[in-house]
Amino acid sequence: MSVGFIGAGQLAHALVKGFAASGVIATHKITASSPQTNLPAATALRRMGVNLTTSNKEAVSRSDVLFLGVKPHIIPFVLDEIGPDIEERHLIVSCAAGVTISSIEKKLLQYHPAPKVIRCMSNTPVMVLEGATVYAVGTHTELEDTKLLEQLMTSVGYCTEVEEDLIDAVTGLSGSGPAYAFTAIDALADGGVKMGLPRRLAVRLGAQALLGAARMLLDSEQHPGQLKDNVASPGGATIHALHVMESGGFRSLLINAVEASCIRTRELQHLADQEKISPSAIKKTTLKKVLQQPGVTGAGVGVRTGISLFSSPSSKQKGN
Amino acid sequence: IEFLLCPSKFLNMSVGFIGAGQLAHALVKGFTAAGVIAAHRITTSSPDTDLPTVTGLRKMGVNFTTSNKETTHKSDVLFLAVKPHIIPFVLDEIGPDIEDRHLIVSCAAGVTISSIEKKLLQYRATPKVIRCMTNTPVVVREGATVYATGTHAEVEDGQLLEQLMASVGFCTEVEEDLIDAVTGLSGSGPAYAFTALDALADGGVKMGLPRRLAVRLGAQALLGAAKMLLDSEQHPGQLKDNVCSPGGATIHALHFLESGGFRSLLINAVEASCIRTRELQFLADQEKISPAAIKKTTLDKVMQQPGVSDTSVGTKSRVNLFNNISGVKKP
Repeated sequence: MSVGFIGAGQLAHALVKGFAASGVIATHKITASSPQTNLPAATALRRMGVNLTTSNKEAVSRSDVLFLGVKPHIIPFVLDEIGPDIEERHLIVSCAAGVTISSIEKKLLQYHPAPKVIRCMSNTPVMVLEGATVYAVGTHTELEDTKLLEQLMTSVGYCTEVEEDLIDAVTGLSGSGPAYAFTAIDALADGGVKMGLPRRLAVRLGAQALLGAARMLLDSEQHPGQLKDNVASPGGATIHALHVMESGGFRSLLINAVEASCIRTRELQHLADQEKISPSAIKKTTLKKVLQQPGVTGAGVGVRTGISLFSSPSSKQKGN
Repeated sequence: IEFLLCPSKFLNMSVGFIGAGQLAHALVKGFTAAGVIAAHRITTSSPDTDLPTVTGLRKMGVNFTTSNKETTHKSDVLFLAVKPHIIPFVLDEIGPDIEDRHLIVSCAAGVTISSIEKKLLQYRATPKVIRCMTNTPVVVREGATVYATGTHAEVEDGQLLEQLMASVGFCTEVEEDLIDAVTGLSGSGPAYAFTALDALADGGVKMGLPRRLAVRLGAQALLGAAKMLLDSEQHPGQLKDNVCSPGGATIHALHFLESGGFRSLLINAVEASCIRTRELQFLADQEKISPAAIKKTTLDKVMQQPGVSDTSVGTKSRVNLFNNISGVKKP
């Protein structure tokens, strides 16, 4: 089984790193494509033994499972480009926040009667085999496709199927969650340094405390509130600390964060559903590089995507 | 990191816990899961047999007794896992029973090595004391522990403790004057995390997720992020940047956190816990236990233990036993 990534950025890098570490697939059976080959993530992928190419079409032809690891607004563009090359065997897995299964299927149905699509939301800790992934299956996806994806994603962390309409909320929680954690650890370390600890030790202890607590919760049937109670001895240091957190509305800030991320995800989905990419959303040089790939025609890409290529200053188009 | 332990060293070693509460329970669970010591070589004591943790400890195959003196006799490494204000009381009780082999490890927040040594020097010329600050995730072998060695503790005593504690998580030696700050950070840290996880789950539920899934995803996200940081040489800020794609959902969320002073609340928390720890230390250094700090029934139970005399416990701890209503004293 071969795996491909359209897009050689953070997501592809994290997933490949995790897959390689877990041994679920060999890196030489992975292909990643991006018109920009000088990104740090792309370099890292190459170093891991992944086949790197500038041609999305090549990534498609070399894969059975194809991850779409590009930014949400690029998805329609990519789908139009690779649409003609999708075959029976392909399982398309979109990891783009806010991009619906129906929007992807709608695009691909122009090229193929039964495109197999799974929508997935993962997060960067897949790279240390502690990711959190949810997925929803599309109209034409078979059970064995589902099992295949679950096998891949379970090798790099927690994975479960959900109804598609929960995925935006998951984005807000575990998709963005690591960023909340990194911010918290930075602040905890600042607290430790303020009270006299060397920085390195403070970062280490802060991260270890969060990790240990999360592990306790995952391994326990108890409510987080019960676990918190167990740590807060009467009149002790911890309950004093908890009071200052509550006084500042700590909990509320985290609820706000999850909500904000989820709402923004839905906004992005709405913008994507408009089915038109603003020319200003794509770099002219990138577009040009894509058009230079074998098999890509300006007509194919431009007309369907709705980008007016005739406005492009560099109006030179190569076709096959 | 799994240390390669010399099995024979631990087969002959016994560990005791004065106190059978949360800390003793968590450490015993961790040690037995790590296989670093067999349950039957662990003894724990408490005058209070109703604690829920006592049942848990018993179920793990640990020897349970109501006599602190018995625990002392049966141990080589003796953890003091009682609340800080109880420490002087316990030290007076077991002081006469400390022998050369004993390594006393105090886990009590804010209790200094010098205060412990001062008490024990009444009974022993060179008491070996280590002060330690750990946290409850030792129970799943992901603890964070620091320790400082006392005047008469040898290098090998420090190494012994480090091997024990490294089996249940991260462990490193520090200067004693950093321990209060560690208490504020990783000692109390799990409580900050549990609060955060409860709130994150609330956020997920608000946006439509079932509770169980929301708790699971929140905990997994924190765990994964912490692991990424521990495995990486990068700054947490860099790792945060890597997750924030331009105009994306995450940076929108982060703005809310920053607007509300999220970071500041965590700095405040670490500071408050550290300051309270120092306060507790100051109170303990006063060297007097208010009779109001100990339950009369508990005191009574202690007094009934073989070998405990009211003069040794009461006078040295300066608890006025003649106010004891039950008035029954056994020699």
